Amino acid sequence: MSERLIGIITSSFFKILIPGIKVTIPLTLLSFALSLAVGLLLALIQVADIKGLRQVARFYIWVFRGTPLIVQLFIIFFGLPNIGITLDAFPSAVLAFGLNLGAYNAEVFRSAILAIPKGQLEAAYMIGLNYPQAMVRIILPQSFPVAFPNLFNNLISLLKDTALASSITVIDLFTTAQQIAARTYEPFALYLEAAFIYLIFSTGLTWLQRYLEQKLVWKSDKKR
Amino acid sequence: MLEIHNLHKSFSGTGVLSGMDFKVDKGEVVAIIGQSGSGKTTLLRCMSFLEKADIGEIIFDDYKGDMAHISQKDIKMLRMEMGFVFQSFNLFNNMTALENVMEGLVTARKMPKDKAKEKALEVLAKVGMLDRAYYYPGELSGGQQQRVAIARAIAPEPKVILFDEPTSALDPELTGEVLETMKKLALEGTTMVVVTHEMSFAKEVASRVVFMDGGVVVEQGTPQEIFGNPKEERTRQFLNRALHKL
Repeated sequence: MSERLIGIITSSFFKILIPGIKVTIPLTLLSFALSLAVGLLLALIQVADIKGLRQVARFYIWVFRGTPLIVQLFIIFFGLPNIGITLDAFPSAVLAFGLNLGAYNAEVFRSAILAIPKGQLEAAYMIGLNYPQAMVRIILPQSFPVAFPNLFNNLISLLKDTALASSITVIDLFTTAQQIAARTYEPFALYLEAAFIYLIFSTGLTWLQRYLEQKLVWKSDKKR
Repeated sequence: MLEIHNLHKSFSGTGVLSGMDFKVDKGEVVAIIGQSGSGKTTLLRCMSFLEKADIGEIIFDDYKGDMAHISQKDIKMLRMEMGFVFQSFNLFNNMTALENVMEGLVTARKMPKDKAKEKALEVLAKVGMLDRAYYYPGELSGGQQQRVAIARAIAPEPKVILFDEPTSALDPELTGEVLETMKKLALEGTTMVVVTHEMSFAKEVASRVVFMDGGVVVEQGTPQEIFGNPKEERTRQFLNRALHKL
């Protein structure tokens, strides 16, 4: 390896890492928070079978799962200004990723809620709880550990999908790598470097998942 | 105190209850016996609105209502006066035994936490589970879980407690502790409706035995009448089979 290439790699590492920490990670976490809220809401609407709203939820999931993420990004960032809604690149990306992943997380939450035996809800009713109380006190606390691995799976996917934000001018990890690659004519080294940094981030998330999963297991499950 | 009139219930065209009448008075222990599929459990589940009756009338103290068209508000009000013990215990898995018992007091009845805890510990002591108050359901045996479930049902001091085959999911060696607990409640004058396959319990503890078959009450009376001198042929056949199994 030439001295020049080694110089480019070492000097660019932090230049790529810093937007990774300052942009890619916040973009991932904010989008994920939005997707959890959207997903939980859509799941609750469906399992509670609220008339009218259920169809809205199914329609939402149908649209957001059925169209490409990059198209949704473009509609929000480049399309909405045509109808008078102009958003900056970063909030556009948060919105697109959050709304899109919300459709997937809705199904994760829904299946986790349905995985709780019916007897839990019946017992909640018979001690005098109403449906919302039963959900909040009994069903959701038990659903969360069930949903957790799949939610985390989606979080790791999201981390990597945020690279698409480079296409709507967000200066994230990947955009920065692209810029340096264009300037130095070393795309191979720079994109490998970008891949390596994504790998570090996702490895961190995997460790976090393992740690949190151990914390989440009910005492009851441990002894079973 | 609690009366059901002309209760009809069918599941996808198959009639399970066809014009059932049932009644329990204050302080009574009514054992409901009969084959699987005779509608015993369905009766209990309709009475507690876990199943919606097709036709039927309920009278509970001063309340009188149409079971097929009852509002959620009325259902909740009636359930506040009922306890229910399930075949499969259904303790809340995310809560300790103590929290299971407190939940109905604190969340549903808005009792202050310290008072609810005091009450919960009192009923756990009554069912002999005080030393397991801080255990999760998964750490308890089936019999222990069912005793906690009984504590959960009696804690709000409901007017009647419905037991749906409370020992059927238990290993034979664990049924005794649950039946003992129920016997204790019966002796204290608790109003109980018990769907059961335990003929010895029906015989010794019940004040009245109801034999059901084909979705109706075939015969009812004191344990002496039903076990000693059944009038109906179907009752005799059932008891012959049920008692000889033991």
